[in-house]
Amino acid sequence: MSDQACASGADAGVQEDLACTLLSKHFGEFAAVDGVSFSIPRGAFFSILGPSGCGKTTLLRMLAGFQQPDSGDILIKGKSVLNTPPNKRPVNMVFQHLALFPTMSVAENIAYGLKRKGIPKREHATLIDEVLAKVHLPGYGDKRIDQLSGGQKQRVAIARCLVLNPAVLLLDEPLGALDLKLREQMKIELKRLQREFNTTFVYITHDQSEALVMSDQVAVMNKGRFEQVGTPQELYYQPKTAFVAGFVGNSNQYAGKVQSQSGDLVTLVTEQGVRLLSHASQPLVAGSPITLFVRPEVMQLSTSRPATEQDNCLAVTVSRVLFDGAQSRVQVETAEGAELTVALPQTADFQALEAGRSVHVSWQASQCLCFPAPVDTKPLGTP
Amino acid sequence: MSKANGNFNRTQYRLGFFLLLAPIVLWLSLLIILPHIDMVLVSLRERIASRQYGFSFSNYTAFFTEPLYWNTFVRTAVMSIVATVLTLLIAFPVSFYIAKVLTGRPRIALFILCLLPFWVSELVRTYGWMILLRETGLISGALQWFGLADQPVEMLYNDVAIMVGLIYTSMLFMVVPLVTTLDSLDNSLIEAGYDLGGSSWNVMRSIVIPHAMPGIMSGCIVVFMLTLGNYLTPTLLGGKSSLWFTEQIYTQFITRFNWEQGAAFGILLLILSSLIVWLGLKITRQSFTRVMS
Repeated sequence: MSDQACASGADAGVQEDLACTLLSKHFGEFAAVDGVSFSIPRGAFFSILGPSGCGKTTLLRMLAGFQQPDSGDILIKGKSVLNTPPNKRPVNMVFQHLALFPTMSVAENIAYGLKRKGIPKREHATLIDEVLAKVHLPGYGDKRIDQLSGGQKQRVAIARCLVLNPAVLLLDEPLGALDLKLREQMKIELKRLQREFNTTFVYITHDQSEALVMSDQVAVMNKGRFEQVGTPQELYYQPKTAFVAGFVGNSNQYAGKVQSQSGDLVTLVTEQGVRLLSHASQPLVAGSPITLFVRPEVMQLSTSRPATEQDNCLAVTVSRVLFDGAQSRVQVETAEGAELTVALPQTADFQALEAGRSVHVSWQASQCLCFPAPVDTKPLGTP
Repeated sequence: MSKANGNFNRTQYRLGFFLLLAPIVLWLSLLIILPHIDMVLVSLRERIASRQYGFSFSNYTAFFTEPLYWNTFVRTAVMSIVATVLTLLIAFPVSFYIAKVLTGRPRIALFILCLLPFWVSELVRTYGWMILLRETGLISGALQWFGLADQPVEMLYNDVAIMVGLIYTSMLFMVVPLVTTLDSLDNSLIEAGYDLGGSSWNVMRSIVIPHAMPGIMSGCIVVFMLTLGNYLTPTLLGGKSSLWFTEQIYTQFITRFNWEQGAAFGILLLILSSLIVWLGLKITRQSFTRVMS
C-alpha cells in the first residue's frame, strides 16, 4: 500500500523537484536515517526539523551526494541521482559554517561555480552583479571574505549557490552562528529570496521558530524517521505524536494515568494527583500511562474563579514571574505541587503580579492533547 | 604611595622581560651574529706574509675567476632546487592522505612511520642507502638474480643517488608543515568545491593548494636550506664526483687550511640561499612572516 503510494509519487515527479523513497542509512548498528519517504512540490520551502543527532544532517548529505544511502532512491526532477557524484547533481548546498573560500574575493567565490558550469567568462560579470543585487549586496564583488559581517557572508553563500540555478537548494542550519537580531532578519530575508528565485529550498534546523516562520512544509524528524510532515499550523495545532507535540512549540508536559474516556474526551489524573480533562485523538485504555501537553498561551489566567464553566480550572499560587516583554510567562504551582508555566497577558490586571499571589488558571479540554506514554521506550518501527 | 608601587611593578615587569629575552639574545649574538661578522672580516683579508694580513677582495675574485668553484656553486643551487621540488611532489600526496583521508589510529601510525627513519642518525641512514645501491649491494644482486643484469651494477656515485639521498633526508621537514596546514583546511571547503560543480583537479588547484601555500613555502624553505648546506649525503652517495659546494668549504678550511677562502665561500653560500628564498617568496607572492607563523 505504502509502496504504491511512493511509486505514484515518483511517476508524478514532473511536478516535483525532489522526492525520496524509503531512504535509509546505517552507521554500523545505528540507523541514522530509517526508511524516509517524502516529496517536495516545485518551489516549496521545505524544512526538516529535529533535535541534534536525529539524522537530519545525514539525510541532507545524502541529498547533496556526500553520502551514499544503504537503500532507497533519491529523485531530482523525476530522475534518480544515486549514481550522480556531488559535483554533477543539480543541487547546491549552503553549509553550516558557509564554507566560503577565504583565498578568493566575493566575486571569485561566485565565479567559481560559473566557471565549472562552463558559462563563458564575458557573462560572469553581469551574472555576478545581478545575483549580488538580488541578495542586497551590490558592489561587494571585490571585497575579501574576512571583510564581511556574518549576515553578509550568509548572503554571499546563498548567492554563490543561487547563481547556478539549482533545482534544489539545501541549507544546513546556516543561521546557527548568527546573533538573535540578525537571525530574525535573515529568516525573513531567506523567505524573500526563496520567493524571488522560486527555487525549492530544503532547510534543516533544530530551531523550531526558524522552521515555523519560513516553511511551507515542515517534517519533524526523530531517531532517523519522519514523525509528521505538514504545514507549520498543522504541526503546532494538530501534532500526531507525543514527540511532535513536545518538540514544536513550548508545552507544559505532565505524566499521568487515564481514568476514563468518552469519545474524544479523556479524564486523567496526573502524577501529582490533579484531575484534568483532555482531548485525545486515539482510544486509550483506562489506567494506561499518558503524557499531557498544554501550551502556555491556551491557559487563561484570572485573579478570581472564572464566571463561565471551564473544563479545567485550577487554583494556583504564583511561584515566579519570568518577564520577557511580550513573551513573559508566569510559573505557578497547584496545591498538589504540580508546576505550570502560563503566558502572562500584557494587561493592567497582571502588571503587579508577584510571587505568592493566588490566581486561577483555566482551559478547555479541546485545547490540550494527550498521547500514550512513555515516549522513550516506544519501540522503533511501530507505526 | 600607589605611584611608587606602580613604578616598582613596572620595573619588575621589565626585569622579567629582559631575563626571558636574555637566552635568545645571547644565543643569537654569541653563536650566530659574532661568528658571521668574524667570517666576513676573515673573508676580506689576504695573507701577505706569516701572521701578516691585509685587506683584499682576492678571495672573492678567486671564486669568480676559477670555473670549478663557480660551476660547483651553480650545480649545488640547481640540484638543491630540484631536490626541493621533488620532495614537495612526493610529500604533498602523502601529507594530503595523512591530513584529509585518514582518521584516528591509522593516521597517527602513518605519521609516525614518516618520523621513524629520523630516530637513527643521518650517517646510518645514508649507509643504509649505500648498502642498497653499491656494486655488491642488494639491488644489484637482485637484478643479477632475476637475470636483468649480467654483471654487478654500480648505482652509487652519481647524481641520481645524491638526489635520492637528499629527498629521503628532507622528507619529514616537508611532511610536517604540509600536514599542519592541510589539517587546518576545513573539510566543508573541499565539499563546497565539489558541490559547486568542481572536479577533483579544480578543488585541488583552486581550494587546497592556495590554502596550503604557506605550508608549502615553509616546507620548501626548510628543505632547500638543509639540502644546500648538506655535507654528509652528497659526499657519501656522490663520492669524489659529487661536487657539492659544502665540500669546497670543507676542503678550504680543513684540507688546505685556507680559512680566508673558506670564509668567503661560506658568505657566498649564505647570500645564495637568502637570494633564492627571497625569489621563491616573490614568485609565489607569499610573505616571509606569514610562511613562518
